[in-house]
Formats: sequence, structure tokens, C-alpha cells
Amino acid sequence: MSDVGFVAAAVREGRTSADSVAREVGRRLTRSAPLNATLDWSQAILDRQATRLDAMSATQRAARPLAGVPIALKDNIVTTDQPTTCASRILEGYVSPYDATVVTRLRAAGALIASKTNLDEFAMGSSTEHSCRGRVHHPLDPARVPGGSSGGSAALVAAGVVPAALGSETGGSVRQPASFCGVVGIKPSYGRVSRYGLVAFGSSLDQISVFGRTVDDASRVLAVISGHDEHDATSAPLPPLVLETPRRDLRGITVGLPREYFPTDLDGAVRAALDQVRDRVRDLGGTIREVSLPHTRYAVPTYYIVAPAEAAANLARFDGVRYGPRRVGAGGDVEALYRATRGQGFGAEVRRRILIGTYVLSSGYYDAYYRKAQQVRALLADDFRRVFEEQAVDMLLTPTTPTPAFRAGEKTDDPVAMYLADIFTCSINLAALPAISIPAGRSNGLPIGAQLVAPMFAEARMLSAAAALEAALDPTREVR
Amino acid sequence: MSIRKEDVLHVARLAELDVAEADLETLAEQLGRIVDFVAQLNEVPAGEQAPPFLAGPDSVPLRPDEVRPEALQRGPADFAPEFRQGFFVVPRLGAMEGTE
Repeated sequence: MSDVGFVAAAVREGRTSADSVAREVGRRLTRSAPLNATLDWSQAILDRQATRLDAMSATQRAARPLAGVPIALKDNIVTTDQPTTCASRILEGYVSPYDATVVTRLRAAGALIASKTNLDEFAMGSSTEHSCRGRVHHPLDPARVPGGSSGGSAALVAAGVVPAALGSETGGSVRQPASFCGVVGIKPSYGRVSRYGLVAFGSSLDQISVFGRTVDDASRVLAVISGHDEHDATSAPLPPLVLETPRRDLRGITVGLPREYFPTDLDGAVRAALDQVRDRVRDLGGTIREVSLPHTRYAVPTYYIVAPAEAAANLARFDGVRYGPRRVGAGGDVEALYRATRGQGFGAEVRRRILIGTYVLSSGYYDAYYRKAQQVRALLADDFRRVFEEQAVDMLLTPTTPTPAFRAGEKTDDPVAMYLADIFTCSINLAALPAISIPAGRSNGLPIGAQLVAPMFAEARMLSAAAALEAALDPTREVR
Repeated sequence: MSIRKEDVLHVARLAELDVAEADLETLAEQLGRIVDFVAQLNEVPAGEQAPPFLAGPDSVPLRPDEVRPEALQRGPADFAPEFRQGFFVVPRLGAMEGTE
């Protein structure tokens, strides 16, 4: 049984108390401090949540699918009992006056909110090096990055501090760190999970996503947080996700291998790991079919127009008037206040993206960049539609990342090199599809992830197929 | 396409963002590289079109127009830098207001 299932059953059945879980999580959070994965946590807050759960009757607890399960939250998901800073100086000390819908649902399901986790500032980055509170260290090699932007959540799950955590995706910010850290990361379909209370970055792309140590761990959490929410106009009018019984085989499933995701210069170990996954698909009775997604090479440039444009608009709200610290500029007027608060409050990568986003939306450049990107985004989405609908492919198999975890500092001076870390993930966000990264093997001790991509709202089948593959793979085995 | 320091300053003004003089050169160089990178999209012929793609539901259902209890657990006075008598207080507008 998974860790989430094990803890929830033990607490529901009274074999252990939520209080003892809370104390153990507190010990683990303390021990994990060198990772710098946690921004805020408090034993008192953990204990308070546990006491409420322990005071319930057995019948009340029995109705809670995540009873006593500690879950960490990326610090761009708002909570009323802990600060939400997005790892930015511009939100230093900010405490939200409301809980995000996912937090309300987790609390109602009996989960313990364990901590708020470190991230690239405002979720902009692929390494969790762009945080005003310092970088997160990879749990297996502190000289390397855990991926990003949800690197803190990934590191805590990989280090065994919590069995599951929430992150957010705009271009791969859960699947990429899941791949780097050797855990499972699920990015649901756009609209599957409410974003009420997720600090907005790229509104046509953002989606709250889940980390777990296993497919089952992450799936159980996704089931709880999914479903329509009237507070989010983009949430799909669908009931909560109902999970399928995990498959034992892949008979009747056609898995497409998009050739553009296996370029000739793909890292040798990543290719070897994916070859093994492809062989397991066949062993399990699945059919492999090579397919083409011809516009793939344009995904990263499209993403780096659409996402910064939306970010420039969304981050206009951080102006020193309504939230966080205020800095009064040299002019002493309100415009100087905006410029000084924003200029000093945002870090280097966020400033770069606001400038790029403003540039591509500005008069004279809008058609050449933003309108063009919308055209190519439609072509990218159509590539996926054709493969799923016209070629009867049930899901796609690709690498999650082009390489295993890279060294800290390796890409910080070259934004374009950093952006290319999202090359196998961001087209899925542009097309609004669900995907999962599962651990597929290791190279020199560093994890490698395999990604499954499914049609819109086909999460249940994707997750049961991923569970079958997970059971057939040895994620700690060195690939050659 | 190269981005000049003046371009950075112009965009920074539009974005209401102070940029330090010392950072201008690096920013111009980095933004130039990003703009050159995304300009690859010009390789896609204008005639190559797919049905317009919009993420999210086809239509947005409206909630009933009902007054509900305040959803916030604390009011803005608790998290705004300066809040008085129901208003967010800011310095005066600059040149537009003139002097009294």
C-alpha cells in the first residue's frame, strides 16, 4: 500500500493518532532543514490540526480519505494560518485572508498541512535557484538542483519528509522536478483542479499539480482536490476525479512515441531509460506506435511569449498598494511608489519575464510575437488532437526532461539554456493536457523520469496505466 | 534583433518597474537573446493555421446573483501597507495634480 493510503487507514482506524503523525513530521522537517526546501512551518500549527482530527468521533474520521496525511504546499498556494510569499520579497510576511480551494478540500479530507515549500520566485524557473530565500538542494546530491519551480515540494517528497505535496505547473514545474528527484508528478488537465487561491502566473496555463512517492499517493491526493469550483471560472464543470482500479497490464492500450521527443542528441542515459520503459509497455501487452508532433520545436519559444505576456499582466497587481511591503520612490508620488516597490521587490528572473512580457505585448510588437504565438499554440494543440483522435493513440510516452538534474549555477547566467529544461513538458501545458512523470531508472545515481501524456480529462486511464508501468519498473536501477 | 538600453528603459516604464543603470547592459543583452530565441516562430508560415485554441471550458456558467457572507477571514486593514476608513491610502499622483 502507498504511504498516503497507509497513514490514512491507520489514523482512520485509530491504530495511530494524528498527533503522533504531526510530531514525526515535525522531526522530519527539522532534519530536512539543510535542503532549504521549507519556507514556513510550525509544530504548533501541525499539532492544532492533529488535535482537531483526534478529537473527532471514529465515524467522523472514517469519512476522511486523507485522515492525518501530512501534505506540503508550494508557497504560491494561499493559506490563512501561514504566510504565502511566493519566495518573493514583494510578498514578505503576507498572510492570506482566505484559504485556496485545494487547501479547504485537503483540510476537509483530514490532511495535515505540513509546511509551505520553497520555489522559484512566483513559480518562474526550472531549478529553484531563483528564490529570495536561497536555493533548494537536490536530496541526493546537494551540489545539484532539484528542478523547478516546485523544487521545495519535490525535495520534501523525495527525502521522505511528506508522502505527497502540491506544486503548480505553468510549463512543467511539477513534472520536471519530479523527474529530477525521482518521485511521481501529476499535471492534471487544465480545469480539473480549482485555481482559486493559487497566485496567478500564466492564467491560460497554470494548474495546481501533485507530487507523490508513488502513483497511488499522488492519485489519492488529486482525487480529493479535483472537481468543479464556482470560485474559479476556468474550472471544468466536472465532478471530482474517480480513480480506476490500477491495471496489471496494458492490453488494449496503444502508446505513441513522438519522434520529436527522441532527438539524436538526447542524453544517452535518458534514451536508455526510455527504451526500457518502451520494452515494459510491450511486456505488459501494450502496443507501441511511432507518431509525429511536427510543431514540437516551436513549443519553448511559444511558451516564452505566452507565459511572460500573461505574467506581466498578472503581476501588475503587486504594486505596494494592497499587499506586502511598500517602498516609496524618489519622486514621492504614487507612480514612484509603484516603480520602487516593484523594482526592489521582484528578483532578477521575474523582472526579466515582466520586461519580456511587456515587450511582446507592446505596440508594434504584438502581432509579430503574441499573435504569432497564439497561432503556433493552436498548431501545437492540433498536433496532439490528431494523434489522439485520428491515429487512435491512447497516450504518449516521452522523456520528462532532456537530462538528469544539472549542477547549481550551471544555467543561471543563460536564461535561454534554463528555458530549454522545459522542452519536453511545456507543449503539454500549452495544449492543456494531463500528464504524469514516473521514475524510470537512474544514471550515476541521479533519477530519470518517463512521461505519459493523455487526452483531455483522461486522467483516470493515464493513472492506472502509469501504476502498471510503475510496478514493472525498478526506479533505482542504473541504466546503461 | 538587438535590444538597446533605451528599449529596456521604455519597456520598464510601461511595466512600472525601476531598473538600475548598472543592470541595463546585462538586461539588454539577455532580453536580446530571449527575443532572438522566440523569433524562431517566424519560420512557421502565416498560412499554416489550426482551429483557434482556447484553454478552459467553452462557456463560463454564472453563479446566482446572491449576496453572501464575506469570504475573507480578515479585512484588508490586516494586510495592506496603509488602509484607512475603507480606502487604500497612497501618495498623491505626481505632476498631474500640480501643487496647492
